[in-house]
Amino acid sequence: MSALAGPPLPQPGGPARLFRNVDILLLLSTLGLIGFGLVMVYSSTHVSARPFLYLRSQALHLAVGLVVGGMILAVDYRAFASSARILYIVNALLLAAVLVPHIGRSSLGAQRWISIGPLGQFQPSEIAKFVIIITLAKHLTDRPGPYQSVWDLGPFLGHVAIPMLLIFRQPDLGTALVYGAIFIGMLYAGGARRRDLATLGAAGVVLVPILWRFLKEYQRRRLLAFVHPSLDPLGSGYGIIQSKIAVGSGLEWGKGLFAGTQGVLRFVPEHHTDFIFSVIGEELGFVGSVVLLGLFLLWVYRGLRIAAVARDRFGALAAVGIVSMVSFHVFVNVGMTVGIMPITGIPLPFISYGGSALMAMVWATALLLSIGMRHQRVGIGFDASPAPARLIRSMRGPERLEE
Amino acid sequence: MAREVFERRLTVLLAVIAGLFLVLAVRLWQIQIVQGEYFLRLAEENRLRITSVAPPRGLIKDRRGRPLTLNRPAFTVSILPTELRHPEQVIPEVARKLGMPASEIVAKLDAAGDRPFEPVRLRRDVPKEAIAALEEDRMDLPGVLVQVEPVRDYLYGPLAAHLLGYLGEINDRDLSALRTQGYEAGELIGKDGIERIYDRYVKGRHGQIQAEVDAQGRPLRVIAKIPPTSGDTLNLGIDLDVQKAAEDALGSRVGAVVAMDPNDGTIVALASHPAFDPNLFATGITTTAWTRLLRDPLQPLLDRATQGGYPMGSVFKIVTATAALELGLVNTDTRFYCPGFYNLGGHIFHDHEAHGNINFLEGIAQSCNVVFWTLARPVGPDNLAKFARMYGLGQTTGVDLVQESGGVIPDPSWKARVWKESWYAGDTLNSAVGQGFTLATPIQVARLIAAVANGGRLVTPHLVTQITTPQGQVVRRVAPPATGEVRLRPQTLAVLRTGLAAVVTRGTAASIQIPGLAVAGKTGTAENPHGKPHAWFAGYAPTDSPRLVVVALVENVGFGAEFAAPIVQRVLQVAFDIRPAPHP
Repeated sequence: MSALAGPPLPQPGGPARLFRNVDILLLLSTLGLIGFGLVMVYSSTHVSARPFLYLRSQALHLAVGLVVGGMILAVDYRAFASSARILYIVNALLLAAVLVPHIGRSSLGAQRWISIGPLGQFQPSEIAKFVIIITLAKHLTDRPGPYQSVWDLGPFLGHVAIPMLLIFRQPDLGTALVYGAIFIGMLYAGGARRRDLATLGAAGVVLVPILWRFLKEYQRRRLLAFVHPSLDPLGSGYGIIQSKIAVGSGLEWGKGLFAGTQGVLRFVPEHHTDFIFSVIGEELGFVGSVVLLGLFLLWVYRGLRIAAVARDRFGALAAVGIVSMVSFHVFVNVGMTVGIMPITGIPLPFISYGGSALMAMVWATALLLSIGMRHQRVGIGFDASPAPARLIRSMRGPERLEE
Repeated sequence: MAREVFERRLTVLLAVIAGLFLVLAVRLWQIQIVQGEYFLRLAEENRLRITSVAPPRGLIKDRRGRPLTLNRPAFTVSILPTELRHPEQVIPEVARKLGMPASEIVAKLDAAGDRPFEPVRLRRDVPKEAIAALEEDRMDLPGVLVQVEPVRDYLYGPLAAHLLGYLGEINDRDLSALRTQGYEAGELIGKDGIERIYDRYVKGRHGQIQAEVDAQGRPLRVIAKIPPTSGDTLNLGIDLDVQKAAEDALGSRVGAVVAMDPNDGTIVALASHPAFDPNLFATGITTTAWTRLLRDPLQPLLDRATQGGYPMGSVFKIVTATAALELGLVNTDTRFYCPGFYNLGGHIFHDHEAHGNINFLEGIAQSCNVVFWTLARPVGPDNLAKFARMYGLGQTTGVDLVQESGGVIPDPSWKARVWKESWYAGDTLNSAVGQGFTLATPIQVARLIAAVANGGRLVTPHLVTQITTPQGQVVRRVAPPATGEVRLRPQTLAVLRTGLAAVVTRGTAASIQIPGLAVAGKTGTAENPHGKPHAWFAGYAPTDSPRLVVVALVENVGFGAEFAAPIVQRVLQVAFDIRPAPHP
């Protein structure tokens, strides 16, 4: 028996019993990560005329994220499967809209935001990752395989390639790569042959020289700086060097919460967003950094366990997609701040300042919890029954769905 | 798919992810525990210093490749906020040595705000003595940087100041828009003239130096260096000699001169007096000097050639004549009788003299007002406005300068809108001879006369003809297309050209004839409420195949023939390299 299967869980009854089925460890680790994030956002931004400016914005987005997350939890997750087609189209339109002048807002040379009036700006590519996980899971459920050759994976590749290219055009290289991770994770779990995935990976590597021509100057410089830091120690290399200094100077226990900003952190660019881990490393040291990684690992473990016990293929694969996304984010983001990954502008999930990303992560977790609490003890061999056609029907409660 | 396979694959995924996280933890152990002390020392001593190296600004050259600007090296004193210790001692000391108030330094440091690792420039072009004094006390002044930076040197001072423009420190609004294009805080950016319009070409690219410094901020070793890239060269159509001649001829009088190639709109000279010295701005202008320029009643910052709107006086008769000819109201030989005045329903309009019995051509040559008053009413105010607009009046010319004025072309609806008054017959008479509400800039007049000279094309005036790299490779050719065409019958053009030639051969500007060069043109004397009339002359030469249009305007002096025409004569002599006849 697999390590992830675990002991049998009690069978759910009415709505109250349904919520009793929530994965407590996943919930706690999520809340822990969010709390950790709020503290670190405050720590990295409080030295200014308006110390609560960033914290308040982050908390506001969190509140919105939690409300919507609660709704996601209340709805049977299979409702998302049935609206996958609409979600996919709306998502693609939003991503395309970002590229349209006058709608998309640019900042730092990239066009990634859509302004939504008083709520500020909204970054569709953050939400898009979450949407693509749902639609790809549905797609994999509709074509359950077996996948006998690399060509059988073609439709899924096309499914991911469209939003990926739109995001690549913004340009946002890092987020585009996250799709790669989601794709590999979900297809691997979904039953694709290893050698086919390896073929696709090799094809991706072959594509690099072609994609290189479409990269913006600053992205090329960042990648080159990673491969060869002394090539550009002043521009992109500067961020890497300063971030390493910040993290390294934290030693075992760190300089103490709120004590790092006076030192080296003002040298680190984007230290409340992409480089927030360098604040953590400096202020909380090796111990704090490893505790944070441990929290993430607990989160990942519970997420994969939910995949293992999910009642149907859609839920299981969506859970794998969410876990793949978060794991890739963590590895690339932390790797970037310690100089083992290139600078790609991927935020640290739950921690980095940034409303759209935080909301997307909260929703993804809500979906995970929803899949987890609607699992069935029996029939884990992937329920093939159709998902509820409409949202309304799914609101009546799980009993009907179990028929 | 079998459940066991799925679970096995999930276990593999968990193992892979845990492995990746382990890699991170090992790396953290490596830099925090193994190398931690090293990084801590780097952090505390803050030993890496990044400074940017300002590039030399691209040169500006005249049409024969003679530079109008150069760059000279000068000392810039800055403060690096991250290295500044004991500001309460250092700031007053630096202020004293630089001869500036300490409060100004504090204000500049405050303005730098959230980028403490970028040096804040305190003063450019600091004299050697002050630098020597600063270097002596180096040990007591941590955070103070002395750098050598190129400073713009306008070789001829106020010559061509309005077209060259001036520099100023980039403001916050521009900076936030331009930072991604390589602009940095505190750098100088073109604020006016071609320095502003073509700033992105001449600015060049910053270089950078990363150095390891000791605790006192002294550089120990350069870790990396990227040299700056010089800006591109602007090649102008301006001819330095002609520009000088125009400014000399204008002398101390207030006014403007435009010389332009009528065939493609290349500007050969563009002068406006009074001017200012752009060198004052090249190192960041002082507040007192700036206030003095702004408060000067003669407005030296105003480019009268492109931003000043003036009544055109009799130069406007070119428009009235065109309208009358195109409408078929007159031809060369149409006879008029000028008793020296015109009676409009009992209201007498006085001409400057009684021309007697003359034909239309002589009417142009002698600038007889009675002839044009007589034509004014049959042509009518709407036709006058229509033909004026056809010649491009009332609209900007599109010259490559900022804040060009469009001027005013009045018609009855304009007067009703702006003055809330109805249009009187007297307004039509005034308009026909260029008095009243019409306002035009010298460059608009130059384009108008160029259209007569080139057969009706409304060229786009432009200063820059070509942008080249410092090595001479062409980056961009500037040859803006004509913006429109005045459709004139050949007879109309012929009458206009003959009339304008007659102005110089035997008419109001007979005094400016140049042996060996046939000149055509029109004088103008524009009444205005500010004093004596403005003097105008707009002409071109040679008459058979025009190569140069010259327009001169002098504010509040008197007759166009007396004050403006000689300026044009002088400019033409220099442009066509004809020595002035020795005085008898």
